[in-house]
Amino acid sequence: MQPTSNPIDAATGGPILKARTFECMGTVIGLTLPVGSPAEGQPGLDELMAATAVVEHLFRELDEKFSLHRPDSEAARLARGELTLRGASEEMRARYAEAHEWRLRTEGAFTPERPDGALDLSGIIKGHAIREAGTSLQALGRHDWCLNAGGDVLVSGSPRPGSTEPWKAGIVDPADRRTLVTGYALGGRSRHTAIATSGSAERGEHIWRVGNSAEFVQVTVAAEDIVTADVLATAIVAGGTTMLNRATDQWDVAALAIRTDGSILATPAFHAA
Amino acid sequence: MKIRGAIAAGLASAGILVAGWQAGTQVGGIGTVATSTTATGTTGASGTGTSGSGASGSGASGTAGSTGTGSAGSTGSTGSTGSTASGTYKGTAVQTRFGPVQVQITVANGKITDVTALQLTNTDRKSIQISNRAAPLLRSKVLAAQSADVQTVSGATITSDAYLTSLQAAIDAAHL
Repeated sequence: MQPTSNPIDAATGGPILKARTFECMGTVIGLTLPVGSPAEGQPGLDELMAATAVVEHLFRELDEKFSLHRPDSEAARLARGELTLRGASEEMRARYAEAHEWRLRTEGAFTPERPDGALDLSGIIKGHAIREAGTSLQALGRHDWCLNAGGDVLVSGSPRPGSTEPWKAGIVDPADRRTLVTGYALGGRSRHTAIATSGSAERGEHIWRVGNSAEFVQVTVAAEDIVTADVLATAIVAGGTTMLNRATDQWDVAALAIRTDGSILATPAFHAA
Repeated sequence: MKIRGAIAAGLASAGILVAGWQAGTQVGGIGTVATSTTATGTTGASGTGTSGSGASGSGASGTAGSTGTGSAGSTGSTGSTGSTASGTYKGTAVQTRFGPVQVQITVANGKITDVTALQLTNTDRKSIQISNRAAPLLRSKVLAAQSADVQTVSGATITSDAYLTSLQAAIDAAHL
């Protein structure tokens, strides 16, 4: 059952935020849009439903190809050695090439290969799916939106269409996931439209530590694109302070890393003005 | 004349620092354009020195072809003879991705003792810091965020089950 009329904020007459979610890749993906009066050119609930359907379709297609939890997926056949990269689809090879390039850039802190040598692209596929979804949303003509896939976020425009107001993302406290450590403004005037967080206790098995470093329980990276944010957050969890400094020196990113004792390292963007 | 050379060299190296720092931010860092940085030094006090003693260097790392030019300003006191000169000198601003950046050198007894990148303003007129390095941050100094103030939540990937009791689920529910 869906509401039949489009919601409008009674107080301001402006659009209000509406969200739709779906489950894929073992987590929950949510799309949030400012929804308002179609007469004023703002998307209504129908547009939100349509946009969510497009995003969901895209996530499902990628999951079918890249999931290692599906025995019949192309990725699973590659991991079992039934298929070689040479015979793999163009998309598989493109993602492998991208992941491999990140391995070089992060000097091995991020890697598409498990310690046993099996290929595992799961560290890059969710970010790729978010990136592709963003492109599709733009193609649909949606300018203001916030896409959250299991804690990795990409935004466009503003929660208040036509304004420069940023989307505000909270960062979960790993010691108490019901509270926030801090927030970060995405979009608006900020160059950064993407934020991703990786944790040492993360469900995904794609973080393998470099050496014995277990410095950080959680690392958040904000960047201009979601794949950079996601890959670097993963790499810093794996590579510790060395990788943190390399990332903040070499990329236009903001980073907040929480050590095992709860203390925080953060780039200037996270320090209160 | 010694001081002039020292300033020029200092500004040149500072310029390279800035250019190198800029270059370092380029993803991939694959640069084919060599950067040459030229600095011009003038001695403020004597009122005669205007000729640029050019020091140039090519960027060692991959760069995006940015060029920094520094010329000593009149701030600070300049000793009249080279070997005892002391003071601070500001270079001209160079454009970086953060907006204009200016370097300042400190000279004591004719030797450069410090090169600082001054904090300038970006297009938002907000003070920016040149170093992007992560530094310790006390929780009490963190900009506090309440879940009521945010539209979305970033955290390590959660399972579908964990989502049900998460902050994000509460926020999504509020926007249903």
